[in-house]
Amino acid sequence: MEGFAIFFAGVDIGSTMTKVVILDKDRGIRARVIGPTGAEHRRLANRVMEEALKKAALSFDEISYVVATGYGRINVPFADRQITELSCHAKGVASFFPNVRTALDIGGQDAKGLKIRNGELVDFVMNDKCAAGTGRFLEVLADTLGLRVEELGSISAKSKNRVRISNTCTVFVQVEVVTRLSEGVPLEDIVAGVHDAIASRAVNMLRRLKIEPDVVFTGGVAKNIGVVKAVKEHLGYDVLVPEEPLLSGAIGAALIGQELTLKAMAKGESLPRKERRLEEASFFS
Amino acid sequence: MAYFMGIDIGSGTSKGVIIKDGKPLAYHLLPSGVNYKETAERLRKELLAKAGLSPKDIAYIMATGHGAESIPFSNDQVTDIRCCARGINSIFPSVRTVIDIQGMSSQVIRLNEKGRVINFVVTERCAAGSGRFLEIMANVLRIDLKDIGPLSLKSKNPVTFTAGCAVFGESEAISRVSEGASKEDILAGVHKALASKVATLVERVSLEMDCAISGGGALNVGLVKSVEEELGIQLLVSPQPQFVTALGAAVMAENRHKGISET
Repeated sequence: MEGFAIFFAGVDIGSTMTKVVILDKDRGIRARVIGPTGAEHRRLANRVMEEALKKAALSFDEISYVVATGYGRINVPFADRQITELSCHAKGVASFFPNVRTALDIGGQDAKGLKIRNGELVDFVMNDKCAAGTGRFLEVLADTLGLRVEELGSISAKSKNRVRISNTCTVFVQVEVVTRLSEGVPLEDIVAGVHDAIASRAVNMLRRLKIEPDVVFTGGVAKNIGVVKAVKEHLGYDVLVPEEPLLSGAIGAALIGQELTLKAMAKGESLPRKERRLEEASFFS
Repeated sequence: MAYFMGIDIGSGTSKGVIIKDGKPLAYHLLPSGVNYKETAERLRKELLAKAGLSPKDIAYIMATGHGAESIPFSNDQVTDIRCCARGINSIFPSVRTVIDIQGMSSQVIRLNEKGRVINFVVTERCAAGSGRFLEIMANVLRIDLKDIGPLSLKSKNPVTFTAGCAVFGESEAISRVSEGASKEDILAGVHKALASKVATLVERVSLEMDCAISGGGALNVGLVKSVEEELGIQLLVSPQPQFVTALGAAVMAENRHKGISET
């Protein structure tokens, strides 16, 4: 494979969304696929990989190395290696923003804070025990208000007088939000209040790492402009958000795959690889 | 003849009790709804009707609970913690620890032989520690709340809930259902999860026997059994457990009227 255009795949099976990227040897994104995770991780992993290969117009044999990450990483049967999402996120984030020192990642069911020095993960904090402060919190809220989660950010931008949310627990906030609505509080003020609550929780978590700029915000929740704004307010300075905040884990995984491959090549070795075969390759729903 | 009324406006349901010489004559329960004032008025009317009394027969009315301030006709109000301790003391004088599991919170109270509060802890920030968790789970499994206790007792292999969050617990339950876990095993797991939260509260006030359980949660035999297993003790289950706090309010009303000191 040496000397040819070699490709690296990163598969990130998160609790809510599954992300795949294929990078070329110059770290350019050749293909990306994002889809909901659902219950059947294995079948899904095969399917999204197949889709990514199709988009990239590559055969599976042309992929030099596949790294799986995320909480469903053990369910990627074709991955050459599994690596924790913390290492992959750190690598991905540092590839977008080399000066990053603190990274916040809020996904569907967890929130993580990463301390990064010279592109490497040195410490982290995490909440995956409580829905408050995760993407799930916003989903429950959107559902309660009869909105799509994608709409929340622009709605909150209209707020002039955001409400103060007094509860922490998602279940109780749901009740609080309904009460506020029945009192006639404008929708945008409620949504802005909820964004403020999630941001305050996230920044408090980050403080345990001692926050230093540059601060980068990734994960699905970073797509919500209202939460990004609230995080900036709580931090007191700017926050960088990559163009594709969902992909930092998958990109990091592919980059780690590339590093491992190059290291092995430099020593004249080659890394053990899985058979390049997808199960149920014909499956498409 | 002097009668006394205790009204407990909770976040989920409102309860009222009329007593005479410390003995309950009438109980009534209503959903609290959004208008606490209206709810309190209705509760009083229906309680009086049940007891066959008119408003002037009631010498003193004590209000308590989340919405106590909204009761226009009460003579005074006290905290639900004090009322719960006083109520359980009038039912079981030997009780020194009471576990009160309500819709939106759980509390554990240590009390002395007079029914005065020595110490207490409340979980009110997390639904996983309250009856709300059970409601969510009953809803997911489409089972009536009153049936989940008996059903859970049939479990042979309780499911373990890992998250300790009601929202994540809901997803976990759905995943377990799709994997084929039985409803009884899921419910037994839910009770165990809530019981373990309750047990940490009990540890914080340091358990002293006898220990009683009250609140709506005490109506659930599966939960009571799980709490007993978790703590390794036998609980006294209050009769009319949802009314313990309202009863305590009524007892305090009577004492207040008779000039009996509360400190």
